[in-house]
Amino acid sequence: MTSPAHDAGATGPSDTRDDRDVRGDRGPGDHRDDRPSGDVVDVVGLRVTFGSVDAVSGVDLQVAPGAAVALLGRNGAGKSTTMRVLGGVIPPTGGRVRVAGLDLRTQALEVKQVTGYCPDVGGLVPRATPWEHLQLSARLRRLPDGWEGRARALLERFDLAGAAHRVTAGFSHGMGRRLSVVLAALHDPTVLLLDEPFDGVDPQGVEATLTVVAEARAGGAAVVVSTHLRELAVQACPDAVVLRAGAPVARLSAADLGGKDGADVYRALLG
Amino acid sequence: MSTGRSSASPVPAPRSPRAAVSAAVDAAVRAAADVGALLRFRLAVARGRGRLAAPLGVAVLGSLTLLAAVVPGLAAQTYGGVTREDVLAVLPSAYLAVLVVATVSVVASGGGRELLPAHQAVAYPVSPATDHLGALLLAPLNIAWLLQCWTVLAATSFAVGPGPAEAAAAVLALAWVGAATASAQALGWAVEWVRRGPHGLVLIRSGTVLVAVAGVALVATGRLTGLLASSPTVRLAAGMQDAAAGRWSPWLRLLAAVLLLGAAAVLLGAGLAHRVARRPARDELRVETADRAARPHPASDLVALMRVDRAGIWRSVPMRRGMVMLAILPGAVAVAGAFGWDRMGIFPGLVASGGALLFGVNSWCLDGRGALWRDSLPVDPLLAFTSRALVLLEILAAAALATLLLASLRAGLPTFDELAAVACALVVVTLQVVATALGWSVRSPHAVDLRSARATPAPPLVMVGYSARLAFGTTVTGLLFDVTSQAPWTWSVLLSVPFLAWSGLRLRRTAAAWRDPSTRARVVLTVAA
Repeated sequence: MTSPAHDAGATGPSDTRDDRDVRGDRGPGDHRDDRPSGDVVDVVGLRVTFGSVDAVSGVDLQVAPGAAVALLGRNGAGKSTTMRVLGGVIPPTGGRVRVAGLDLRTQALEVKQVTGYCPDVGGLVPRATPWEHLQLSARLRRLPDGWEGRARALLERFDLAGAAHRVTAGFSHGMGRRLSVVLAALHDPTVLLLDEPFDGVDPQGVEATLTVVAEARAGGAAVVVSTHLRELAVQACPDAVVLRAGAPVARLSAADLGGKDGADVYRALLG
Repeated sequence: MSTGRSSASPVPAPRSPRAAVSAAVDAAVRAAADVGALLRFRLAVARGRGRLAAPLGVAVLGSLTLLAAVVPGLAAQTYGGVTREDVLAVLPSAYLAVLVVATVSVVASGGGRELLPAHQAVAYPVSPATDHLGALLLAPLNIAWLLQCWTVLAATSFAVGPGPAEAAAAVLALAWVGAATASAQALGWAVEWVRRGPHGLVLIRSGTVLVAVAGVALVATGRLTGLLASSPTVRLAAGMQDAAAGRWSPWLRLLAAVLLLGAAAVLLGAGLAHRVARRPARDELRVETADRAARPHPASDLVALMRVDRAGIWRSVPMRRGMVMLAILPGAVAVAGAFGWDRMGIFPGLVASGGALLFGVNSWCLDGRGALWRDSLPVDPLLAFTSRALVLLEILAAAALATLLLASLRAGLPTFDELAAVACALVVVTLQVVATALGWSVRSPHAVDLRSARATPAPPLVMVGYSARLAFGTTVTGLLFDVTSQAPWTWSVLLSVPFLAWSGLRLRRTAAAWRDPSTRARVVLTVAA
């Protein structure tokens, strides 16, 4: 597999950034200069309750600029709920959540501006085309002219250029997953949130996703990846947090989780 | 709903008639058992008020049916200037209307409602026969069907009068309702089979145009009444007279014939359902795989949101078909019935109510699983709400306007007062429906996949409640404007003010609820589930 970190420097939005700077435009990823130097994702004691069920209880998560953390755990461990909170879709019941220095409770819109979220299920409007998804995202995020080049490059990389103008209802599961990653990455977010991005995706799609993660990190973004797949989590992220029953049980490095020993450690942590 | 892994088919070709009958009986028994299992599963997954709503709803509908079959017969010989003979004369048309209403419902929904949505049923070996029986079982959960059924029962009861004959007539009327529904279901499968076949769309559209032209020709030449007088349903009315006169032998023969017709239609429908299951839904597949030309970038956030919202409706084959039928059918009824402008006020409400039932009562389900992504976009929730409301408003208003234009073909030119009343009714009921539908959408979201023409935005029994409430509210409002159409136009305008204010207030309340992150999360998580 090609090194994602190496690819990050060869392709991507930086190709045209100088030109935009001359024009004074603000392009995807241009807010990187404003990125906070501390933890971009700062979650302390996160609690999410659905009725009488504690979906998440006491999650702490800190992710620095350029870092990537994998959320691991069994079904129902609270991974997707945590991601949905970070994506601004679910309000936290308790705890403190700051994203890029912004308080999620009071500055939800601003947080959404700097995050790119790939939801775990679907994530696509059934009767809109990929291009229309991208147009909507670009419009609402105020991306300046020129975003189309980045969009086309991403679609090409994820092998979706040929389906850019087809409604997504006819997409396969893997195509949908790949497009969700494209949508999350379009604006070079300060925080990239990928929930189960490898689920049902072919090897090329997995490689493209790993490249996107590496590029985001190289650009100083914080990345959070939620997945069941330990091997891919280790490839994508140097650190991992293992959740069990809505609470974190361990924070490990990729080295701790890699190989057969890592598999045994992971299995033990899952309970 | 059929998953193709049939429990009843394909059965190896039997070698003797006896074996064929035995196989058919086995398949029927298995399909009936499967329907029971699916029904229990459907009821078991109901939560909260839904658990209570199902038995309560069935009890209410059963009671209303019983009342419709009994109470009118107790009325005096002449009621409101209408005699029993008058009603007896229109009974054949009323019986025929049951067949028409049931057929339109089944054809419009691509084969009737599903006992279990296709995306949920895919894991189970649900046979087309089971699917067919399920669709028949759910056919009564349709307000148009229910109203026609109650009308027929009430008219029959009044025409026959009290006594043992009333019960006999009710039995015959109910048997006819069942046979007509089964026949309509079989016809619906046949239409769906043709639609899914080669050149199916062209054939169905041509057929629809031919039927419409024939209808217009019948009305224009004044032959419709004569045709109705020679309808086979005249024999049913004669059967009612036999019952009233105590001639039980011909009544019994007629009842047996009707029951036989119903049974044959059920069997025929099961066979056709098998054939339909073997053909993919071409139109839906074409829409899902066709390329859409890229459009210029939207000029504003609202335009961007509305564009995606509109795509959710117009790129959905079932919704597009439903809206077109809603725009045309009531107008056709108005033309056939020679409705004047003084009775036009109820049409906008009927059309808007029907349109809202296609998706509006669960508006956020248009986003499906994309709701999670959409809600992660940096946009004021109020703007997203406004977009959804405007799209719903424009589509309902356009359909209602099309109906009025069609109806006006025979109604002539309205007076200014009549025009004002109809225009006010259009604006008032459309906003009324939008406010109601969006309120339900936020309060009671449902996870549904509206890709199939057979899917409904909420469970069937809930849909009955929604449609009854919408139809009642908008019909009463429309009737009020029918009254003001006979008064100076200022009355209509003045009458509009409180309605508009109330709808505006409801919309504002719903928008406020939508802005609440917890409420929004509940809706988004539900529709994206």
